[in-house]
Amino acid sequence: MSCRQPTRRKFLQTAAAVASVPYVITSKALGQGDVPPASDRIVMGGIGIGNMGASDQGAFLGRPDVQYVAVSDVRESVRKTAKERADQHYKNGDCQTYNDFRELLARDDIDAVHVATPDHWHAIMVIEACRHGKDVYCQKPETLTLREGPLMIDAARRYARVVSGGSQRVLEDYKELVGRCWGGELGEIKSINVNVGPLSQLCNLPAETTPPDIDWEMWLGPAAWAPYNAARCSGNFATDGGSWRSYVDYSGGGMTDWGAHHFGGATFAVDVRELQPVEIEFHNDPEGKHLTFKYANGILLHHNRPKTENLVVEGTPGEKRPAKPVPTYKGEGGIYGDFIHCVKTREKPFRDIELAVNTVAVSHLGTIAYQLQRSLKWDPAAQHFPGDEEANRFLDRARREPWQL
Amino acid sequence: MLSSAFEALKTYDWGTDRAVLAPIDEAVISTRDDEGARRELEASLAAVLGTNVSRDAKDYVCRKLMVIGTAASVDALARLLPEKDHSHMARFALARIPAPEAAAAMRNALGTLNGELKVGVISSLGARGDEASVAAISELLTSDDPQVARAAALALGDIRNAAAAQALAAAKPADPEVMRAVVDGRLACAEKLLSSGDKSAAMALYKPMLGPNQPKQVRLAATRGMLACTGQKE
Repeated sequence: MSCRQPTRRKFLQTAAAVASVPYVITSKALGQGDVPPASDRIVMGGIGIGNMGASDQGAFLGRPDVQYVAVSDVRESVRKTAKERADQHYKNGDCQTYNDFRELLARDDIDAVHVATPDHWHAIMVIEACRHGKDVYCQKPETLTLREGPLMIDAARRYARVVSGGSQRVLEDYKELVGRCWGGELGEIKSINVNVGPLSQLCNLPAETTPPDIDWEMWLGPAAWAPYNAARCSGNFATDGGSWRSYVDYSGGGMTDWGAHHFGGATFAVDVRELQPVEIEFHNDPEGKHLTFKYANGILLHHNRPKTENLVVEGTPGEKRPAKPVPTYKGEGGIYGDFIHCVKTREKPFRDIELAVNTVAVSHLGTIAYQLQRSLKWDPAAQHFPGDEEANRFLDRARREPWQL
Repeated sequence: MLSSAFEALKTYDWGTDRAVLAPIDEAVISTRDDEGARRELEASLAAVLGTNVSRDAKDYVCRKLMVIGTAASVDALARLLPEKDHSHMARFALARIPAPEAAAAMRNALGTLNGELKVGVISSLGARGDEASVAAISELLTSDDPQVARAAALALGDIRNAAAAQALAAAKPADPEVMRAVVDGRLACAEKLLSSGDKSAAMALYKPMLGPNQPKQVRLAATRGMLACTGQKE
């Protein structure tokens, strides 16, 4: 990427490169006005260009400092539409399409990728992208299991990659609450409540004829084999059975999907986003099952606390605390601009993968407590449930061959 | 109720109402403090794996054995490892059953499986951090099947003990994707050595990865690692 290595794309270095130089160098290639020359733009590709992926693609395409060159999706029609979107934007036919994301990652000219596949693919793709030297913007929820998170962080740190999670709501939806908490208006913060759900379920939908448009084996990837069913793989946002977000092999359900937003906003507001809980208390009350996450610093994070509204903070009435500066996006253009800015400067993005992993860990820990219907202790440093063989079984799940983290 | 759920498993398939199996789901929770009932439930589930039920039914049973399985289920699960339709779900359970017999069963299968099924078993042993598998997995670094060799490299990077580091340091694969996995494994091992205080061993792993033939991100990783070994900040 040119901002780090201004001479990386030396077009005249080799005979092959000479042959690739266009006869007419357009003003777009050279840059004009606010548009940097092609050699100074971040070259990007996208993997999983359905619902959220299309939205992400549109956001990156709209940036003059990005040159969007490739898309990968297991649906032919989605690839075609995504290519048309890019080609229309640049008024050329250059956007390449791939069924297999590994071919996209193998391209040396691509600096960064965005990933918006179903959740069961996220860890594999993010880690593999880091191994290929790409920076990554990954849609939320970034992980499907607890074990995936540290491995994604390791890959990002190992190869010094910029890896951003994808919840724009963490900063944008909860600004007012974050401002009051960080501004000291609520005094010492004791707790916050998050109402979100449901958990995902096992999918047992009947087999339907697989349309020729989709590479079903690649859609399933590391997930357990199952027959095609339109609802099983629909990318709509339903968590009640109408989309992959409802089903345990591909998603944690609303608990992780909206949990990434709500838990992300809540842990930001009460300033525990750099931590993970150390205890999860399971309550089986007449009013319903609910949880209390306890952090080592004493902060409590309630989940679905009866008769409590979403994101209600318990502070210390009458007390004021000194205001702290509130972290925010770098660069221009929201979370996408933050990511691109950090790709250029090598800073950590607002939703650095470690913070994103901490958020989704709350969802996963809560899910395990609900599944086992009991309280748990968690060791964030060791990433396990100390002395709890039953709970530790839920840290990860075997991936279908040949997929591996 | 539980017996009717097991009866329902005989005809259970994709499209069947999942509610028919709810008594088994409930028994997984309710038998937690009743060792006898838990073992009876496990035996009933494991027995289903040897019968002529649907792939979906066996899939369901493996999911339950992932939660409650012990050494007693290992043989029934291991018998599925060579079966293309069931190998993954057998690992789904075996990979999470803490009994050493579960790892041993997968290790034993390494010698008989090929192709993707072998890749799956290697990956599960790696994810399990099974140090007893390092010798067997190290031999697979030179497999003619690049998928197998790549899986072996990644698994050794997961296990990342001294023997794994040694095997990865000695590997010289020709296939670029296998090499990428070997390098990743070496870096993982070096990080482990560094965090455990063995800086000279970590340095020895990092140093050869500075070569000009290595990708930029690898040279960067090796440089940062070597700086850390010498106590310098970037």
